[in-house]
Amino acid sequence: MNSLRVARAALRARPAALRIPVQQRGYAEAVNDKIKLSLSLPHQSIYKSQDVVQVNIAAESGEMGVLAHHVPSIEQLKPGIVEVIEESGATKQFFLSGGFAVVQPNSVLSINAVEGFPIEDFSADAIRAQVAEAQKVANGSGSEQDIAEAKIELEVLESLQAYVK
Amino acid sequence: MSFAWKQAGLTYNRYLAVAARVVRRSLKDDKRLAAERRGDMDLRFAKWTNGKQGEMTNVADANAAAYVEKANAPAS
Repeated sequence: MNSLRVARAALRARPAALRIPVQQRGYAEAVNDKIKLSLSLPHQSIYKSQDVVQVNIAAESGEMGVLAHHVPSIEQLKPGIVEVIEESGATKQFFLSGGFAVVQPNSVLSINAVEGFPIEDFSADAIRAQVAEAQKVANGSGSEQDIAEAKIELEVLESLQAYVK
Repeated sequence: MSFAWKQAGLTYNRYLAVAARVVRRSLKDDKRLAAERRGDMDLRFAKWTNGKQGEMTNVADANAAAYVEKANAPAS
């Protein structure tokens, strides 16, 4: 009688034991195809170690796309667009004023810039007005510094104009 | 790589500051007002000689003057 009760208890216990998930990891799940992006400005973090699929940056050495498992490298950024393809598939574009992108081992990407804003925050009128002004200074007879600064401004503005319509 | 601004005697720091300034000025009005405050710098210094304070000078103005002087000086 007593042994029968034990057997019945064991029978009842088994389905519960079956419900415990098997602690096993397949090869496919072990490979993470996301890259951790940190996009930081001195006054704000736009991304804080967030998983994204791909990041396209405008480096001085050329445009490049960064995926997971990228070779570690340090790139100086041109004033230009950084395109982030998020996990959901949505693409976000930011215009950065120049800085550095550091691709670290194990799929970590840090981008530092002085100023960065979503592309829709820019005003085409403000850009046009500044282009005219900077061109006047660049072709004028100011000091070498003034001309060099005007040329930097023109470089930034021309890059901006390509994206802000 | 050789950059035009480098040949004109500008530092990378100055290049970044100029690029950031122009980006801030290109924003739409509401964002621009908030952002432009970040570009303001109001530092002043004075040189003390023999226990007397010299003239108060704006750091930004002094730096601009120093750049011009450095560019006009013969290359060393």
